[in-house]
Amino acid sequence: MSSGATKSAVAYGVRARSIRWSKLLVVLGFLVPPAVIYIWLVLLPMAQAVFYSLYRWNGLGPLQHFVGLGNYELILRDRVFISALGHNLIIVALSICIQLPLALALALLLRGGVPGRAAFRMIFFLPYVLSEVVTGVIWSFIYNPQNGLMNALLGAVIPGFKPIGWLGDPGIVLYALFVVITWKYFGLHFILYTAGLQDIPSELEEAAEIDGASTWQKLRYVTIPLLGRTIRLSVFLSVLGSLQIFDLIWVMTTGGPVNASETMATYLYKFGFQRFAIGYGSAVAVVLFVICLAFAIFYQRQIMSRDYS
Amino acid sequence: MQIDWWHITTSGEGKDNWTKQAQLFTKQHPNVSIKITILENQAFKNKLATVMQSGSPPDVFQSWGGGVLGEYARAGLVKDITADLQQNGWGDSFLQGPLDLYKIDGKYYGVPWQAGMVGFWYNKELFDKAGIKQLPTTWDELLDVVKQLKAAGITPIALGEKDSWTGAFWWEYLALRVGGKEAFEKAYNRQGSFADEPFVEAGRLLKQLVDLKPFQTGFLGASYSDHQALMANEKAAMELMGQWALIVDSGLAKKPEEFEKKLDWFPFPEVKGGAGKPTDALGGADGFAIGKDAPPETIDFVRFLTRPELQKQMGATGLASLPTVKAAASSVKQPALRKIQQALSKATYYQLYYDQFLPPATGAAVNDNTQRLFAGTASPEDVAKAIEQVAATELG
Amino acid sequence: MASVSYSPPASRQALKFIRFGLCLFVALLVLVPLVTAALGGLKTNAELFANPFGLPSTPQWSNYRSVLSEPTFWQELRNSTIVMLLTAIGVLVLSSMPAFVFSRLQFPGRELLFGFFTLGLLFPIAVAILPLYITLRQFHLIDTLWAVVLPQVAFGLPSNIVILRGFFAAVPKELEEAAFIDGVGYVGFFLRILLPLVRPALAAVFVLTLVASWNNFFLPLLVLNSQQNYTLPLGIMQFQGQHSTDWAMVLAFVTLSLVPTIIFYLFAERHIVSGLTAGAVKG
Repeated sequence: MSSGATKSAVAYGVRARSIRWSKLLVVLGFLVPPAVIYIWLVLLPMAQAVFYSLYRWNGLGPLQHFVGLGNYELILRDRVFISALGHNLIIVALSICIQLPLALALALLLRGGVPGRAAFRMIFFLPYVLSEVVTGVIWSFIYNPQNGLMNALLGAVIPGFKPIGWLGDPGIVLYALFVVITWKYFGLHFILYTAGLQDIPSELEEAAEIDGASTWQKLRYVTIPLLGRTIRLSVFLSVLGSLQIFDLIWVMTTGGPVNASETMATYLYKFGFQRFAIGYGSAVAVVLFVICLAFAIFYQRQIMSRDYS
Repeated sequence: MQIDWWHITTSGEGKDNWTKQAQLFTKQHPNVSIKITILENQAFKNKLATVMQSGSPPDVFQSWGGGVLGEYARAGLVKDITADLQQNGWGDSFLQGPLDLYKIDGKYYGVPWQAGMVGFWYNKELFDKAGIKQLPTTWDELLDVVKQLKAAGITPIALGEKDSWTGAFWWEYLALRVGGKEAFEKAYNRQGSFADEPFVEAGRLLKQLVDLKPFQTGFLGASYSDHQALMANEKAAMELMGQWALIVDSGLAKKPEEFEKKLDWFPFPEVKGGAGKPTDALGGADGFAIGKDAPPETIDFVRFLTRPELQKQMGATGLASLPTVKAAASSVKQPALRKIQQALSKATYYQLYYDQFLPPATGAAVNDNTQRLFAGTASPEDVAKAIEQVAATELG
Repeated sequence: MASVSYSPPASRQALKFIRFGLCLFVALLVLVPLVTAALGGLKTNAELFANPFGLPSTPQWSNYRSVLSEPTFWQELRNSTIVMLLTAIGVLVLSSMPAFVFSRLQFPGRELLFGFFTLGLLFPIAVAILPLYITLRQFHLIDTLWAVVLPQVAFGLPSNIVILRGFFAAVPKELEEAAFIDGVGYVGFFLRILLPLVRPALAAVFVLTLVASWNNFFLPLLVLNSQQNYTLPLGIMQFQGQHSTDWAMVLAFVTLSLVPTIIFYLFAERHIVSGLTAGAVKG
């Protein structure tokens, strides 16, 4: 009997070792090809850009004028940059509180059995598909103080309404932009939630219903917790996206008027590359990177780690 | 032998004209082929910047002269054509003012094919409606005209200040009238500064205008396109804009030919007691610059593109608004454009727009800070000081 | 005896009605700008600026016609499609592999390697454009479609690895264990069991990549020089002059560019909501 046990122990040992080998092969085989293209076209150029940040350089001719951390000092002391950072944080907060719940609500609504579901899904996703340039132009029409839709509608509904310069008023431009951001990007999160909801077995919700749970209780104690991983993922992408937002803002206001809608990325482009200050622009990018990295590390460790054992 | 040509005339007869010229040239020079890349203005600037930074410039490309060309010249990325200009009087065929925009540190790196100046385009009908009998010749008279228009319920001035270069024109002209050529040159050569009195005074005068609230609602967020539309829809009486405004505004009008007839032009008024002359002009040019690796035939090609017969043709058909070759001056027929042509040829000093002349960061600082004057968030002193701060770091 | 409580049919109908109403309201809000764009293509520029939200007085079908009759439009459409499909294939293959490894395999340094792959999420691509351009030029890729595809794949990896890792982790361990007992290795499990199960996620990634690639303007602008290699976004440039833009034509052009995207989206969309996942779990 002991030899039998030994044999199976040995067999198990052999099997375990071959599993370890095959695991190593899989890990290598599955990671090396993507890593190659990723290092070549993303990390190496990124490292170069970090290197540029140590210079005061206009991009033309050889790399010269080493300034060490001089660029970073200038950035952190620039009031315009600090306020740009503030604008990014406002967008982060507004996105999490408004955009994401809206996308979730719509995903849940559609799942509940609504006629024309497929058409709705497509309509909700369309803004995401439209290019930033055209989005900017159309919404500029909507916000036009003279003959725009926004002022026309509000004027029809509110008595004594005076036309507002939505994109021209430094006090409200950021919020006017946020409406456009929500319109454009909620479709992304809507798609993620819709896909995530597919993973939730309907039996669990049916069981809760049988136990007497109301719609709201079902949502709160069954559906949303099960959607947790997707929600945490969506928040992760939303925060990073908000910190790096550029195209839409640039097209609509170029960060203005008077820097009232400046974000770190528009600041980077405007005060860096547009002014032929490649070193400075790269330094701003590194600062942005560090902020995103700090968030990513914190978020992965504290919040997302439980999703992946 | 291939010549790479990048230009920004994206459509219409202008584009066809350039293509035809390239074909004509290659017919006469069978060993040369010309590859044309057509880009939109902003896209062109972005792409050129990166390509320049990578050290491989195109052979012939659109250039506005001034500070950006200066950066390329000092990095050795463009060809010095001073000697070529002296051959066969090529250099002499051009109007001096526009040609000098392509002179960097005493050497020439390009030639202009189109040049103009900034002035007031106004709607004659709207001016009549407000009872304005005489065009303003001084700054105070201009302010009065604004008040008259306001009283008649007409928006006096169209301004798309989101694209801050539009508003910067006002400040630059006032600085030109108050301080003249001397003040600018002193500040640029660092014998003076952009925080000197003429530049502060320019801000004070501009503030007088801004305080009258002469612009359309929400002008701070309006783009130049919106500004054009305002003029085209006759919702504003006048604008301070370059010579292209005639064509561009009419393009957006319901009835273009009718609208074109309603537009006329007058030069920027003088400022009493200012050191500048009322005949000093603020303007800019479009031209060709030549890359450092361009084959020798490229010079012949650019000569071909700026030959007097072609310039006359382009002046007459409006493809060059306005032509830069002296011999083509009389080809301009449109009355308002003729006025500009004459003002241009009589100009006592030709100032290139600040954001083209000055190196990139300083130029951008001018646009950004003058925007604050329009928004009322900075004083004339602050604006001048802020510009000087950036100028000091870039110009030394 | 278990008491079954259920909502009476009337209020269930009412709920459905309210749900539909809400969706309709949001859909209308969403559609207004899009319809404005489509209708804008039917106006003259003058009308577009004077009356952006009304119906066109005389529809300028010529705008749409002239876009469709330009051979450059079809060329750009073809290039955009090729670039998009190659990018999508590249992204799907090269991000599902690491996502699998990071979600279901345990090995030392896993979290660190995962972090390494997500660095690209934290950095705006535009900053690295100069070194990237120089690299592409060194490899003689400039003015080829590969100069657009390869960077797009590379930059698409971080976010899609993160997304797919999330969905891969949701597949129950039991399936994996059952597969191993049956003698199926890692690769077999990956190809034959996992991937089919996560079809909604793969379709979602496909759609996101499709959109990112289709609208990408800056990278193609930079690396493509010949008109015959241009992608659709670059085609807009022909309507933009130095001082003015033919917005009506731009809107017509962009509305037409939307059509293929919608077709591709519809194809992928069926998979996003395939609902087959539930069946597999039950079985």
